[in-house]
Amino acid sequence: MTQSLVVFDKVEKRFADFTAVKPTSFEIAQGEFLAIMGPSGCGKTTTLRMLAGLEAPTGGEIRFEGKVMNDVKPHERDTPMVWQSLALFPFLNARENVEFGLKMRGMEAATRKKKALDWLDRLGIGQFAERNVAKLSGGQRQRVALARALVTEPKILLLDEPLSALDAHLVIRMQSVLTKLQKELGITFVYVTHSQSEAFAMADRVIIMAQGEIAQIGKAKDIYRAPANKFVAEFVGRNNIFEGTVKANTSGSVQVETRLGTFVVPTAAASTARTGDPLSFVVAADLVQVSTKKPAAENVVECQLLSEQFMGTTVTLFLEAADGSEIKVQIGQRELETIDLTHGGRLYASWPSSRAHVLAG
Amino acid sequence: MAEGQRRDFYAWFWRAPLLVWQLLFFVVPLAFMFVMSFWLVKNYRMTPAFAFDNWAKMLGWNIFWSSYAYTMALAVAATILASVLAFPAAYGLAFRVTDTTRRWALFFLIIPFFTSYLVRVYAWQVVLAGNGVISAMLGWVGLGPISLLNTPIGTLVGYLTLSFPLVVILQTISLASIDKTLIEAAHNMGCSPLRTVFSVIIPAAKVGLIVAGLFCFILSFGDFVSPYYLGGSKPPTLSIMIVDSTKSGQQWPRAAVIAVVMILSLLAIAFTAVKFAYRRRG
Amino acid sequence: MNTEKATSWALYIYIAIAFAFIFTPIIWSFIFSFNSDRFPSLPLGSFSLKWYQTILSRPEVLEAAWTSLVVAACSSLLSTFIGFCTAYTDYRYSFLGKQAYLALAMLPPTIPLIIMALAMLSWLAQIGLSGQVVSIIIAHTVLGAPFAMAVIRLRLNDMDPNLEAASWNLGASEWRAMREVVVPFAMPSIIAALCLTAAVSFDEFAVAWFVSGLNKTIPVVILEILQGNVDPQINAIGTFVFVISITLIVVAQVLMLSKGKKEETAQ
Repeated sequence: MTQSLVVFDKVEKRFADFTAVKPTSFEIAQGEFLAIMGPSGCGKTTTLRMLAGLEAPTGGEIRFEGKVMNDVKPHERDTPMVWQSLALFPFLNARENVEFGLKMRGMEAATRKKKALDWLDRLGIGQFAERNVAKLSGGQRQRVALARALVTEPKILLLDEPLSALDAHLVIRMQSVLTKLQKELGITFVYVTHSQSEAFAMADRVIIMAQGEIAQIGKAKDIYRAPANKFVAEFVGRNNIFEGTVKANTSGSVQVETRLGTFVVPTAAASTARTGDPLSFVVAADLVQVSTKKPAAENVVECQLLSEQFMGTTVTLFLEAADGSEIKVQIGQRELETIDLTHGGRLYASWPSSRAHVLAG
Repeated sequence: MAEGQRRDFYAWFWRAPLLVWQLLFFVVPLAFMFVMSFWLVKNYRMTPAFAFDNWAKMLGWNIFWSSYAYTMALAVAATILASVLAFPAAYGLAFRVTDTTRRWALFFLIIPFFTSYLVRVYAWQVVLAGNGVISAMLGWVGLGPISLLNTPIGTLVGYLTLSFPLVVILQTISLASIDKTLIEAAHNMGCSPLRTVFSVIIPAAKVGLIVAGLFCFILSFGDFVSPYYLGGSKPPTLSIMIVDSTKSGQQWPRAAVIAVVMILSLLAIAFTAVKFAYRRRG
Repeated sequence: MNTEKATSWALYIYIAIAFAFIFTPIIWSFIFSFNSDRFPSLPLGSFSLKWYQTILSRPEVLEAAWTSLVVAACSSLLSTFIGFCTAYTDYRYSFLGKQAYLALAMLPPTIPLIIMALAMLSWLAQIGLSGQVVSIIIAHTVLGAPFAMAVIRLRLNDMDPNLEAASWNLGASEWRAMREVVVPFAMPSIIAALCLTAAVSFDEFAVAWFVSGLNKTIPVVILEILQGNVDPQINAIGTFVFVISITLIVVAQVLMLSKGKKEETAQ
């Protein structure tokens, strides 16, 4: 990992009647694309605003390139932001909006005009430079906001749910624009979102926050494959969560008794578990196999097909187990054709023990 | 944000002008007027004192109380008259015209506030006089020349000139903001239009209607132009008494007593009206 | 359906009568300002500008017009400034005692003018500020500030709460943000407030009459003419004032409406 650009050191934000962010520590590396994700009210936006200086931490330290930032005023920081509402200046045209930051830095008119036009061109909206921002489409205004934030050549760019107001097809387009820009510029992006697909599609690392705390921090794949706790497993979705108690912990395997039967989970993660302890584990939907014949293996659940949901080349099957709980299975379209599916028909879901991930706590 | 140093000066810069100006030239003058009501006038000069002479003199003066009753009666009459007369117009503007027409109507209703009230009163003076238009019209139907000038009716016409447009505006706004489905529901349940007005529309718009009436009362209660130039100032209203004792009598402390009594009356009435407006039904 | 139509028409006629009541005196004074007869009667006399000539030949009327202009200009500037400060404070901050602060801002219009006039006169006399042009300016500023505040506050309602923060984020200090963002955004309402408060000042007579001493404004002159006999000069002066006021109001109205519409989709 390269040198840390930003350090959050036990940073905390209390308001009069509630705590938005509990003491939280993490680091952001130079050139990293970091997404902060969580349900609304989890403290993700407050975290971003503290980084921009728009909220003052009530505890801990925020360091930027080693310098403590707590008391630095927002306009003395170089942490431009792309706002959820875009917050374009309605009385200025597109170019003047982009020039704003340069003007505040005292740059001479001709130079800043050229820079602003360059950026508008780079983002493909050069022809709209002199147009009133109210007369631009959603996607175009998005790009103006992006240009306005990047024109000062910052080391870090903050993005607060920037795509939430766009149509679905534009979101995909803008995602690729953003990742491409981030790679080209090599600067750090901190991207706050409630959307899993945005976070996982773009970010190098993802922080998942819940109730003012970091629930998990890591690469998208790790969060998906190995959720740290039940909250993350549920938040990420696409996971089948099993809760039960330890039946036996022998050197070779840990057996967990659940309402659906007894399953085997890897020993490594559950080595300290003793008989009778509660234990939960998850199996990601795409790691579950499904068949019409009962396989002769461990970890088999007998179920019925409830419904299927097609998403591009994959399909998610929603199965119902004997106790009424739901099991999700994600398989490829091709694979689907090999299975004889009838609604209400008997199916067997199964997975190798090694694919089960034991949850902490 | 670094609240400490930064907020202080900047925030106070924007907060201070109102505080300074309104304290110095609104709160203090009113407070001073109250204090002045206890001062004495000796040899045409005010001298600071704490005496109840003015209060005793005014409150023990029959003419003051008859003026009080007269002013109150006229203002109440104007309020009822304006509210009742404005209602059909407001109802029509709220429910029977397009949004565009309503906007234009409201715009036109604002215009009178920016034409000189004095000039309009002068126009009425001419219209209401014994040789004026109204008298002539009454003459055609055989009701010999009558001058409505210098009668309480003259005063009421003046009060309505002042407050009627405002009452129509406020009533229209409050009627137009009633939930339309409420009215449709009443119609569906077989409620006749007239009954809908009294059992659905008026209760739903109660707050707005009372506020409109309250404004009419405040304007009429404090106006000295109409009772003077249209009502003939006999008997004088409280506002005319203030003008007379300030302008000619040099009796500022006594004028202050009248003003304080007026403010207290207005406060009591406003308080009652607001309480009534927000009282729960049933 | 037929009775429905009939009531509608009855209501339209009623509205027409109500408007007639409101506008008759205004139109009346306008027509008679051009009428040659001293005593108004029907049929009208001939068209004449003599009442305008009369007022223009009276130095005290011209002097009063000048005073009115100065007072309207100064008090509208002051009350718009105070109104802006108050509206911005209300928009941006919440603090202990804000309710009382806002009550202080909105209270003046609920006090009858005659009482304001007496209170102003006695206090200004006490501190040696009565009987001057500045006395009227002070008083009209108090009366105008609530209107300015209301108009500007309405405009700030439409301002994205992140707009100021966005400008700090791009390197503007709070003062700079005020100049570059808040003031430009509020500008239509600031001009509207200037017009509105100027019109309020231009028409106000009670307080002006009490505190002005020898420095009469136009409405005070009208009041004094009113105390004499029937005199159509009032119509001429009134038409004058009407034209000025209505121009100010139309400008204010147009600014408030057009600018608001254009930016509706801007955020």
